Amino acid sequence: MWYHKPVINKELLQSLPNLKIVASSGVGIDHLDLNLLSSYGVKVSNTPFVVSTDTADLGMALMLASSRRLVEGYEMAVSPDTEYFPADWLGTEVSGATLGIVGMGTIGYKVAERAKSFEMKILYHSRNQRKKEEESAVGAVYCKKIDDLLQQSDFVLLAVTLTPQTHKLIGKRELELMKPTATLINISRGLVVDQDALVEALQNKIIKAAALDVTYPEPLPRDHPLLKLKNVIITPHIGSATKKTRRVMMEEMSESIHAGLADLPIPHEVL
Amino acid sequence: LSKKVQAIYLWWHKPVIDQELLQSLPNLKVIANSGVGMDHLDLKLVASFGVKMANAPHAVSSSTADTGMALLLASARRLVEVYHIAISSNMDYCEADILGVEVAGATLGIIGMGNIGYKIALRAKAFEMNILYHNRTRRKAQEEQAVGATYCEKIDSLLQQADFVMVVVSLTPQTHSLIGKRELELMKPTATLINISRGAVVDQEALVMALQTGVIRAAALDVTYPEPLPRDHPLLKLKNVIVTPHLGIKTDKATYMITEEAVENILAALNGLPIPNEVLPS
Repeated sequence: MWYHKPVINKELLQSLPNLKIVASSGVGIDHLDLNLLSSYGVKVSNTPFVVSTDTADLGMALMLASSRRLVEGYEMAVSPDTEYFPADWLGTEVSGATLGIVGMGTIGYKVAERAKSFEMKILYHSRNQRKKEEESAVGAVYCKKIDDLLQQSDFVLLAVTLTPQTHKLIGKRELELMKPTATLINISRGLVVDQDALVEALQNKIIKAAALDVTYPEPLPRDHPLLKLKNVIITPHIGSATKKTRRVMMEEMSESIHAGLADLPIPHEVL
Repeated sequence: LSKKVQAIYLWWHKPVIDQELLQSLPNLKVIANSGVGMDHLDLKLVASFGVKMANAPHAVSSSTADTGMALLLASARRLVEVYHIAISSNMDYCEADILGVEVAGATLGIIGMGNIGYKIALRAKAFEMNILYHNRTRRKAQEEQAVGATYCEKIDSLLQQADFVMVVVSLTPQTHSLIGKRELELMKPTATLINISRGAVVDQEALVMALQTGVIRAAALDVTYPEPLPRDHPLLKLKNVIVTPHLGIKTDKATYMITEEAVENILAALNGLPIPNEVLPS
């Protein structure tokens, strides 16, 4: 399945008596009811690690584009009304700033590796603390309380899986803890953020800007305020959207399907 | 008033330093430039009036390197294109139309390995890129090893192998139109050109042709000639081009640091002390 289609519900499962496996693209499986599938004896697979690098790259791309006002700058550069580039038009520096990573799995860690080369100060909050060697390799400091991370970060990047615990992890309270000069970057799932609270926070300058590869729903209704705010960059869930990665994902999904149909152990099975 | 002026702090090439101005300021001792590029100054002319010159090389390097990476990533992942798709009133798009190219494992060719070029190499290494570089002089072995960069004595070798070509040279008579028809044709048809140096380092007409005919995949330009481009210029209309308004050093932090560097230079000159970042006509 690609992009959560088709929707796997009881009706569909009942109508497909010989269904053996659902191979899902990407790493997230929040759109699947694993218990329901298991009850029908259907196996599930995903493509967990292949997406990590491209997604981390996109997180960095969004952080840089947002801080340096790339999209606005492009529009100024091409606009028919532009006569000169104003001298007082400035963005914010990424090098040397503080990045707070929420969720330090494979993707979060790859973001940290990249951010380190920009001489960023790295804080992270995660269910589990990483090993000391892993922390020192990227110079990351663990924040047991998310509040500490939120209060100190210039950039807050969300790289968690969507679970009942991370649903609306970033709400009004969390946004208010962030610096008014901070930027929120979301490469996880739309539902990790309370979208209405985010709109308010952006409109009232509680935080400075947001860059979102994911929203809820996807795509957003065309009249949604997030699409109109000047301090927001939205991309259409392109975290893993490179030719090479998509090809590898397809190959992994085919492998899982073949194994599932042959009753062999399934690579990347989700239990 | 003109007799009182001892120092000029140049911000974005203004004021224009010509014979007339220099003659009208008899007590001018120093011109401090904001930023590192000095191509807009006639160094010999200024020196002939006994006026010293200085630039601000250190304050610019991180922000400009960041800009280079921002453009590389934005171009590879088609950020500007897909942003417009994401916010457009019509969300009809084909999945295949929003696929970008991978950065990890790709080859970055850096032309010009000075302060800025080296900072780019440091960042690109973290993105698991394979790094080639071409420079007037070769870097020390330890510097090369620290970023895993391979020296290409001939620019052709770099151009033929790179997936991303990043131009980071100063503009001099030698680098004027450094990237022209010949160089673009040596590049892979899947390659991207990123220019954060000066517009005149690239033969713009040749670039337009190359982009229109698929000789190279895409370009991302923070600098053009002139700036801004005329509003009907083809570069502004090509889908595979990102143009940004020379925002290389335009951050709060960088402009502050540049001003600090310039003030240091000016104070040193006015006090007859050695100027930290003096630029001599060569």
